[in-house]
Amino acid sequence: MRIYDMDKKCYVEVAKVENPTTKVEQLSDAMYCYKHGIFDIIYDKSQPALRAHVESFGEDFLKQDEMQFLYFTSGTTGTPTGVYKTKDNSKKQAWALIDTLPKDMKFNRIVTTVPFVHIYGVDIGGVVAYEMDIDVWVKENFVPEELAREAQVAGTLVVTTPLFIKALNRIKQDMKFDKAYFLTSTAPLLPEDAKEFHEHYKSSVMQLFASTETGMMAYKVDDETVLRAYDCVEIAESDNMLNISSPFVAQKILDNTIKKVEFPFQTEDIVEMLSPHEFKLLGRSSNLAKIAGKRISTLQIEGIVESLEGVECALVKVRKDEKALRDEILDIYIESNRDIKQKELKEELKKVFGSIHIVFKLYNGMIITKSSVGKKIGFKEKN
Amino acid sequence: MITTADLKEKLIDGLGLEDIEVDEIGDDMPLFGDEGLGLDSVDAIEITLIIEKEFGVKIKDAGEESGIFSTVNTLVAYINENK
Repeated sequence: MRIYDMDKKCYVEVAKVENPTTKVEQLSDAMYCYKHGIFDIIYDKSQPALRAHVESFGEDFLKQDEMQFLYFTSGTTGTPTGVYKTKDNSKKQAWALIDTLPKDMKFNRIVTTVPFVHIYGVDIGGVVAYEMDIDVWVKENFVPEELAREAQVAGTLVVTTPLFIKALNRIKQDMKFDKAYFLTSTAPLLPEDAKEFHEHYKSSVMQLFASTETGMMAYKVDDETVLRAYDCVEIAESDNMLNISSPFVAQKILDNTIKKVEFPFQTEDIVEMLSPHEFKLLGRSSNLAKIAGKRISTLQIEGIVESLEGVECALVKVRKDEKALRDEILDIYIESNRDIKQKELKEELKKVFGSIHIVFKLYNGMIITKSSVGKKIGFKEKN
Repeated sequence: MITTADLKEKLIDGLGLEDIEVDEIGDDMPLFGDEGLGLDSVDAIEITLIIEKEFGVKIKDAGEESGIFSTVNTLVAYINENK
């Protein structure tokens, strides 16, 4: 496996990099550690709160025997959780994915638009390429036109996000990507968007259903609505929620202290089981939104709004804007004795979530209605 | 020739920057990062689509042309050069 730096137009050696900041450096360092079985901690170091949290433990404490990677969730729904993986976990996961790729296509490189600070970038963009022994092409910033040019090259496996699929649909290039194949991350891609992409560009998109805590769970292709679990992943449903036992993660997490995880692991995903290996995703636990790939608790946002002077009550609802590149937008209804400004709330959110760009629309002058037990159930305009 | 005000209007509309007026965005204010407008990488993709749709100008390479995303002034200069 080699890394091609598309900005500098040269191959880069897989090597140990202290404090990697660019995508090329992040990938190079992670793959050096994977190749040599060196323990590595993967997280987004540009998030100050997450960085402080991870560094508070010290590397000696975090390093665990036989573990390859320690990935961190963003911590946007509370304290960040660290999830350990052995090299065998990552390798099995990579081969489970490789086995689902079209057998009539031969891939000679991965082109990836994602950073290597999360499980998706490293495990899919990096480890899959390493196991297939093909090159990874990396660029710090992609625009859709550039990705379109690369996707015309035969044997290209594109590791990207639904954002780029939707953007490519919008620019409607007069091109065919029939000799390339696309993988996208968990963020939802509507069946209509996947179908439009397939029909226009003559290429397929495999959507991977995964999380940091569980690793890859299932996949679907183009406008399919049914998710198929990987053969070695056991799935079940309990109280409508997806439960999972997987060989793709170690049963060890960091949650203030290092703990053993009992399987099955209960996710926040609401599902309908169709067969022992197939399910439909109906939604998520209602108080979670997914923004910039991170799960954000709407209850936490409500708490932040209610901490502002003059606010008596706030209700946050998650809206999907099908035309927008962003997946989810927050509608925030506010009962208060003054109008809350967008800028004011933005500043407060920045204190908690750092640079994560949360898109929201404010509705001032509301009354939040509550049930007899005090649960917020809706809103109406004052007067 | 398009003006900075033309572009700002399209950005406010296209990016859903509610509560922000045209004159609140400085011509040389950084579009990205905490010190400026606070846009992110998703907005950058959206900006390329807005510029293509509204002004008929394609941004073909984020690497070589990354400087154009710095401010409204740099974007307007790029659009006018390539229109």
